[in-house]
Amino acid sequence: MAMRQTPLTCSGHTRPVVDLAFSGITPYGYFLISACKDGKPMLRQGDTGDWIGTFLGHKGAVWGATLNTDATKAATAAADFTAKVWDAVSGDEVLTLAHKHIVKTVSFTQDSNCLLTGGNDKLLRIYDLSNPEAAPQEIAGHTSAIKKALWCNDDKQILSAAEDKTIRLWDRSSMEEVKTLSFDTSVSSMEYMSDGEILVITYGKTIAFYNALSLELIKTVEAPAPINSASLHPEKDFFVAGGDDFKLYKFDYSTKEELESYKGHFGPVHCVRFSPDGELYASGSEDGTLRLWQTAVGKTYGLWKCVLPGYTASILKSTVSIFLGIYSNADIAEVHFCFFFSFFVYI
Amino acid sequence: MATPVPVLRLPKGPDPNSRGFDPKSPRYISLCRTSISSSAVSDADSEELQREQHARSVLRERFLRCLLAMANKKVHFHMFEKVKVEATFGASDIDVLNFQVSDLHTPIGVQKEALIRCQDVISLTFDL
Repeated sequence: MAMRQTPLTCSGHTRPVVDLAFSGITPYGYFLISACKDGKPMLRQGDTGDWIGTFLGHKGAVWGATLNTDATKAATAAADFTAKVWDAVSGDEVLTLAHKHIVKTVSFTQDSNCLLTGGNDKLLRIYDLSNPEAAPQEIAGHTSAIKKALWCNDDKQILSAAEDKTIRLWDRSSMEEVKTLSFDTSVSSMEYMSDGEILVITYGKTIAFYNALSLELIKTVEAPAPINSASLHPEKDFFVAGGDDFKLYKFDYSTKEELESYKGHFGPVHCVRFSPDGELYASGSEDGTLRLWQTAVGKTYGLWKCVLPGYTASILKSTVSIFLGIYSNADIAEVHFCFFFSFFVYI
Repeated sequence: MATPVPVLRLPKGPDPNSRGFDPKSPRYISLCRTSISSSAVSDADSEELQREQHARSVLRERFLRCLLAMANKKVHFHMFEKVKVEATFGASDIDVLNFQVSDLHTPIGVQKEALIRCQDVISLTFDL
């Protein structure tokens, strides 16, 4: 019996959703933060998409958002030339870090003590959150606006992607450039998976997988449309990608075969990420919504409920009762059986 | 024909009246500390905490009464960068982020109406 994917739509944003990030798994589940051009990033429960709170304070579009592993802190990067650190439990703004231009990306180290920022001023900055008054360490080198920056190799190195069509690997202690990857077009997204040291990069219609330490190419996969973001499943059996044709694509990582494509969004997909347990993936779109998609369609998880014959019958019984009015038990049982039978014939 | 996966309900959307972060949620209760480090952090007995809380409410009340008493009076503000200005106090905003003042005397002239940012103020003085 084939089941059709039911995406869960999380509404609330009024402008395009440009970035999203999951936290790690905490005793209270896992969480999701979304960055939106309306300037109001939101925190949601990761497995259900239920809204928890909105971080109020930015005065411009928020381009990047991230959570620390235990979801106690959040960081956002905005067009108001600031990056902000928030208490993700109370929603209060903890720190505002002024920059000289639009900030596009923020990333916490694993111990949440340092924050990496990057933006249109072409500089990478490292802030010590235990000493925020101190000037940040700055790394220069990119010749265009930085789109994405993240920690890798156990926070000993930094990866950054910029509009100058390069991805650069930097050593944190020496602040020197270790390696550069050049492309023909600008890289649209970058995701890092520490388990296995894999870097997922998207550009044009290509999704490329690199070794994050050596920056050696592992494989590339071509999608049917320009891709804006891709994410690899924690178990590395699938990856999902979304782009300008509004669809989400699911591929097999080993065979590179396109397994599924899902329609649902009403605008280009800007970001897509797998949850930390790999049971679902979230996509953010130009249409202002986030959608949650099941990895294993039909499985009971979060708000999705597995279909069982008894369950279906009880739904039909209540539907039948509404339509047919008051009947004796015997009548309902007969109609009930017919509907049930025809339901299965349909499948 | 494939049936769509049934869902229990749709994800809850934002509350139009608040910014969320429910203080009654289990996560908030166990993870949120009082903002000012106090005996609450060092797990002191509830007796200490009560006295502290009482002291805090007394100070808060005094501050609010102060703001009320200042209305339409001449106030001297001592601010950062050795700035000393005088103005007629109007009102404060709800989060005490800005003070609305009139006739602000500055070294470059008198500003009829102005907003003073509270985080820039070190102290203020006025005569009752």
